[in-house]
Amino acid sequence: MVDNCLGAQRSRKIQRTLRHCKVTILCLVLTVVVLRGTIGAGKFGTPGQDFVEIRDHLYSRKQGEPHRVLKEVQTTSSDNHDGADTNAGTNNYNEFDINKILIDEEPDVPKRDPNAPYSVGPRISDWDEQRSRWLQENPNYPNFIGPNKPRVLLVTGSSPKPCENPVGDHYLLKSIKNKIDYCRLHGIEIFYNMALLDAEMAGFWAKLPLIRKLLLSHPEVEFLWWMDSDAMFTDMAFEVPWERYKDSNFVMHGWNEMVYDQKNWIGLNTGSFLLRNGQWALDILDAWAPMGPKGKIREEAGKVLTRELKNRPVFEADDQSAMVYLLATQREKWGDKVYLENSYYLHGYWGILVDRYEEMIENYHPGLGDHRWPLVTHFVGCKPCGKFGDYSVERCLKQMDRAFNFGDNQILQIYGFTHKSLASRRVKRVRNETGNPLEVKDELGLLHPAFKAVK
Amino acid sequence: MGQDNFAPQKRSSTGGGGGLPTIRNEAGAGGRNRGFPSMPRGRQMHKTFNNIKITILCGFVTILVLRGTIGVGNLGSSEAEAINQNLIEETNRILAEIRSDSDPTDPDESPETELNPNVTYTLGPKITDWDQQRKVWLSKNPEFPNFVNGKARILLVTGSPPNPCDNAIGDHYLLKAIKNKIDYCRLHGIEIVYNMAHLDKELAGYWAKLPLIRRLMLSHPELEWIWWMDSDAFFTDMVFEIPLYKYEKYNLVIHGYPDLLFEQKSWIALNTGSFLFRNCQWSLDLLDAWAPMGPKGPIREEAGRILTANLKGRPAFEADDQSALIYLLLSQKDQWMDKVFIENQYYLHGYWAGLVDRYEEMMEKYHPGLGDERWPFVTHFVGCKPCGSYGDYSVERCLRSMQRAFNFADNQVLKLYGFRHRGLLGPNIKRIRNETATPLEIIDQLDIRRSVHGKTESKS
Repeated sequence: MVDNCLGAQRSRKIQRTLRHCKVTILCLVLTVVVLRGTIGAGKFGTPGQDFVEIRDHLYSRKQGEPHRVLKEVQTTSSDNHDGADTNAGTNNYNEFDINKILIDEEPDVPKRDPNAPYSVGPRISDWDEQRSRWLQENPNYPNFIGPNKPRVLLVTGSSPKPCENPVGDHYLLKSIKNKIDYCRLHGIEIFYNMALLDAEMAGFWAKLPLIRKLLLSHPEVEFLWWMDSDAMFTDMAFEVPWERYKDSNFVMHGWNEMVYDQKNWIGLNTGSFLLRNGQWALDILDAWAPMGPKGKIREEAGKVLTRELKNRPVFEADDQSAMVYLLATQREKWGDKVYLENSYYLHGYWGILVDRYEEMIENYHPGLGDHRWPLVTHFVGCKPCGKFGDYSVERCLKQMDRAFNFGDNQILQIYGFTHKSLASRRVKRVRNETGNPLEVKDELGLLHPAFKAVK
Repeated sequence: MGQDNFAPQKRSSTGGGGGLPTIRNEAGAGGRNRGFPSMPRGRQMHKTFNNIKITILCGFVTILVLRGTIGVGNLGSSEAEAINQNLIEETNRILAEIRSDSDPTDPDESPETELNPNVTYTLGPKITDWDQQRKVWLSKNPEFPNFVNGKARILLVTGSPPNPCDNAIGDHYLLKAIKNKIDYCRLHGIEIVYNMAHLDKELAGYWAKLPLIRRLMLSHPELEWIWWMDSDAFFTDMVFEIPLYKYEKYNLVIHGYPDLLFEQKSWIALNTGSFLFRNCQWSLDLLDAWAPMGPKGPIREEAGRILTANLKGRPAFEADDQSALIYLLLSQKDQWMDKVFIENQYYLHGYWAGLVDRYEEMMEKYHPGLGDERWPFVTHFVGCKPCGSYGDYSVERCLRSMQRAFNFADNQVLKLYGFRHRGLLGPNIKRIRNETATPLEIIDQLDIRRSVHGKTESKS
């Protein structure tokens, strides 16, 4: 056809040219496609993204964020409810979003000037005198409720908003029940905090202004025992050896070598500690606080801490690392009143304890408080209230159940019951009811323990 | 022309066995070979090989490109999405397992045999001399007296089921409720037992408090009073102290209205969401008389029918402890009523619907310590059932009201520390008193414990 018009030679040339063009274009397209597949073409996206977009468009489904691991997949049974379907009138708790309610009605307070130095409160320098005068004037509120038994206030807390994890609040509930049980047996009062006293010191630093406020408001309290919400008592019979600390003001679980020599960031643990009410406590809180205010100060402090402390990962300043740094750098000032306890588990890292509970039940008994029967099992890193933590969800929650049951068994045996197994919520009777209930003694002597006796 | 020449050669070559499609492609082959009148066999094979190579190469490149874009064999999703999906499914499985009632550890639990309805259910072996046993014990154990600092020893008992609630909000309000109770009890020197165990399979649900109360009474003779409180009841007056001196001759203190009870026989004449039991033989006897309607199954169903028939306004459902108590006190009035104090001077139980909207008015006009309709002692959220899936009222109304009650009470606790909530709904607080260098001056005025103790001292 073409060569009829143009002549054979010419047409051949044209065809060859056409062929070359075809080949060139083909190769060009191929190159572009391959490059796009590998490198991507900027805002035009990659083919993978194209595919995802097309898929989403076809299925019109909301793209799940990669971090919403514990987002509840609600099977909204929106079909046929006689009654209101709208949020306003619904009687179904699963359809309701609590965040509609938890709104502040009054405006926020003006923020503090970030350039002004942070302080926890006006400086007090005579707290010991003020306190001893008050104790003399109020003999009904002594700071010692028995010989060698100081008045202790256990302080713990959690956020006033519901947990992001749907079962987080349930584990907080079990944790506070566990603490209520221990404190009832040992004559300790509890303060459960759900208020953020200082917006600057949010997160793990929130305990500092709270502790200061409680020490100043309760002069009758001799020791304040801070305990994290993810720590559980697993030895109900162990009483803290108060006489051991008669010359100390601050008791934490840790090791002297790891803090002072190695400056290891986990040389001590601030998840469970005792602080004696006095001027010394106020001073150390003042010295501890400066790394806390959120924002630039905390970030910068975090860098300093990562640099100075051994093995610390990179993140903003936390209260525990700040305490290690404080003690390591100002040992002469604070060290003589700080007792780093490691003869029992004032804080017990859960990873090495939870698998051994059956072994402990077989070989040992409550009242030891140490590696044989830990006083506290602390679920560091699990973060059951958050969306996800450092460990697998299944392991964390199952082990928290086991630790809870391990402690609860010691309470239930007082009344003649025990859990069917460490994983089970059900209980079974181990001691029959009798007509003479007062002759029954529980094995651990926790029914009327000596540390609860009234003078 | 060329084609004709070529074709017989092609045919002969294909006759040998399986020609390649490219060669069969007449147009292409013809076009390519038009310029060449003849082609030696070797060159043709060479060309064939070339074509094959090019084909394979192109095929290879195509596969590579396709793989780079869409992926092979996993056309449904990209890898990250798959992992995420697996994680979500795994987590949902764990949550469902945690929430379910089934116990993975005892798979071969024998099916529960139902109670023989002819045999009366008992809470335990009958005790007839509990008062004497207790008195002897107290005299032998002076370090566990039943009166401490002039006040009778009270134990507050509450609880919730061992499983997580059907929804997350329920657990959150259980947590807030127990914090509220901890605060009240710390201020008033009362101990708490929070129960999360079903002590008796038969008496589950609202009946579970009966075996629990009995067990605690018998184990703790040093207790003078046991105070049961539902998990959906909040203390809203942190200063008010129960006037125990009024109840010296009584053994059961319960909120209600005598006319509703005796004249109308209403099923809500009394409320068993908050009541006090004295630790004595009379209470054990009452518990024994109360329990028989409880065991689940046909006994409870049948009892429910009796109660609906006899009590005014009761809907048809299985027997509940409140209706059973009312029925018991009505039918055996002479035996029990002389020791029962029906309290309505203050809100030992305060039905929430009439109270929660008036909190702002109360804060303006009145002050804590009154305990009655001016400043209710207890606000009880009957019917809200936040731990279940459905309540009897609108969810928004219930949760809003519970949050308001919580904040209303928490303000009274935070006052000592110089804070209060920013509104009755929000979680945040604001400072109402500046920090000073002499904090103890204000503490004495504000600490509730000191004001309470002062009052009781003046009475004695």
